[in-house]
Amino acid sequence: MGLDALFDLLRLGFENLLRNKLRSFLTMLGMIFGVGSVIAMLSVGAGARKEILERIQSLGITNIIVNSVKPPAETKTETQAEQRWMDKYGLTFDDRELLDATCPSIDRVLPVNLVKQPVWRGSRRVDASVFGVLPEHLAMFHLEAGRGRVFNELDAVECKQVCLVRQGLVDELQLLEDPIGARVNVGRESFEIVGVLADQAFRSHTQKALAIDGRTQEVYVPYTTSMRTFGTMTFVQKAGSEERTMVELDQMIVVAKSADLVRPTARIIANVLERSHKRKDYEIVVPLELLQQSERTQAVFNAVMLVIAAISLLVGGIGIANIMLATITERTREIGVRRAMGARRRDILLQFLTETATIGVVGGLFGCLFGLAAIRAVVLYTGWQAVIEPHFVIVALAISGGVAILAGLYPARRAAAMDPIGALRYQ
Amino acid sequence: MSGDAIVRLSGVGKVYGDPAHGLVVLRAVDVAIARGEFVGLVGASGSGKTTMMNILGCLDRPTTGTYALAGEDVSKLDDDRLSDLRNRAIGFVFQSFQLIPELTVRENVELPLGYVRGARATRAKRRARAEELLASVGLAQRLGHKPAQLSGGECQRVAIARALANEPALILADEPTGNLDTKSGEDVMQILFGLHAAGRTIVMVTHNPEIAARLPRVVAMGDGRVVRDGPPRKLAGSAAIGAEEAS
Ligand SMILES: Nc1ncnc2c1ncn2[C@@H]1O[C@H](COP(=O)(O)OP(=O)(O)OP(=O)(O)O)[C@@H](O)[C@H]1O
Ligand SMILES: [Mg+2]
Repeated sequence: MGLDALFDLLRLGFENLLRNKLRSFLTMLGMIFGVGSVIAMLSVGAGARKEILERIQSLGITNIIVNSVKPPAETKTETQAEQRWMDKYGLTFDDRELLDATCPSIDRVLPVNLVKQPVWRGSRRVDASVFGVLPEHLAMFHLEAGRGRVFNELDAVECKQVCLVRQGLVDELQLLEDPIGARVNVGRESFEIVGVLADQAFRSHTQKALAIDGRTQEVYVPYTTSMRTFGTMTFVQKAGSEERTMVELDQMIVVAKSADLVRPTARIIANVLERSHKRKDYEIVVPLELLQQSERTQAVFNAVMLVIAAISLLVGGIGIANIMLATITERTREIGVRRAMGARRRDILLQFLTETATIGVVGGLFGCLFGLAAIRAVVLYTGWQAVIEPHFVIVALAISGGVAILAGLYPARRAAAMDPIGALRYQ
Repeated sequence: MSGDAIVRLSGVGKVYGDPAHGLVVLRAVDVAIARGEFVGLVGASGSGKTTMMNILGCLDRPTTGTYALAGEDVSKLDDDRLSDLRNRAIGFVFQSFQLIPELTVRENVELPLGYVRGARATRAKRRARAEELLASVGLAQRLGHKPAQLSGGECQRVAIARALANEPALILADEPTGNLDTKSGEDVMQILFGLHAAGRTIVMVTHNPEIAARLPRVVAMGDGRVVRDGPPRKLAGSAAIGAEEAS
């Protein structure tokens, strides 16, 4: 069949579609909803997946994050005196050294010291979580300076009182001048702001991992500075009494030598910590496992989506098949005439298949528009992420065309099989 | 003349249903039609005229016997070959016009041109050909109209234009004037006579004795057989055909 003949078929398909617009539209309706929901689900699914992936990947695939966790009150076994004076829990420097020394699959361990301190500037006060981290920590978690610079080894070695902040803190402190080089008080100490972090939308992994109140601002200082200035003890005034806690290491980021070694390393860490800790005052977060878990969840989600999409497309297809059967009965005489004029069975088959494919593809196009509108609405009202990729539209169109052709196959075959004499005589 | 026969039916029989016990409509029909003839087919209702036209038009196959169209035995051809043959060699004119109501007059005439195998004309050429054909039946002004906007006579002229599209060797007209008033019927007959004069071969079924009487050759059917074949009897009045059928 030549291009010319194909073009003729397509023209015929479109003319038939336009001839009876309402009916064509109603025929397409199932397809429109089917394709629309497929596109919407694909996009919202991809959006959710992207968000989870970003969140997990920001934790690092080769990392194992070990957090200190305040144990439940009833499990406290310390002596009364110790307990009154100071609540000590969590990861210790010994833990770090032990792991570093005994586990060959560990590349390095990055400590994090976290303190809650108010940040002052004149009379403005902002509560902040102050993270004491190694310079390499910044690079590992893509904490880049949008303005100014990040702190480096030199700052760390000299225990310089420098800090990295987010734009939100600058705004809250109402710093009118250039924040770079400005001095603020963190607790009772004066720090110089050397950089403002680039990304503002994404809150730090540590904050998430430690479930820190999202309203406090993040400030990053060199680990060494943090240890010397703030130490490991925290005092919290609470209802008249003072609660003292001591956590040597708020967080350890254990970097495995390769992604394959993450799981065994995590097991070793769990064993080592279980032996040296009487209480479960730590938690181990393995981003890789989270990732794999989320991939399994995603697979289930995909399967459910596929079933829903298949059902809606099936319903759309049945609708098309139904209308096409009616159309073919209605146009029996036309079929007879075409056969008498020399149309082969194949010509009739192709004619009706093209008509249904046209309905399917045009329905698919409308369905895409409907889906895009639905996505907009979902994003607007729920604030979910949605990712629209061009191939979704192509896939949706191909599927709708394919479903329509499948749905049209039986009616078209029936049309092609008609006896021309009987068809010509049909009343 | 037998050597130049465009149609040769030899011992053609047609049985509807089971060959042994079915309804026998044609029994051993032998007819030869030469190129350029205008043959009338007459007979009582149910005598098998339309059945024979269907066989002549390659819409149906004989149960027994052979049918040679332009020297080619078509009894054994498959469905696709028969389709091609209809497209190339046969022009149909029906009593009920059989125009496709959704298509314009010109598109209806273009229809057979679109199904040509191999050397199919371009769309522009097909349109031009359809316009030329419609002009030849006096409908050059109605190209874009739908069949519903035309009178019966005009519809039948469109159908004739359509039948001529591929220059067929044989034109088959089954009661072309059956649905028309006398005036329109006469217009259609004039066109058919013109085609005959131009050398075309036409087989026409008619119930109208006056029309039959004007044809050079009339084949009368009765009980599935050819009961008379030759120039029409010059009998006065409408009883003529009835008398023939009764014999
Ligand atoms: N498909 C069919 N199945 C069974 N019987 C049929 C079929 N087609 C026609 N017949 C029968 O064959 C006989 C001849 O029919 P045909 O249509 O050839 O008659 P006709 O001469 O054209 O009649 P009319 O002048 O009324 O058009 C009729 O008795 C008809 O009932
Ligand atoms: Mg008949």
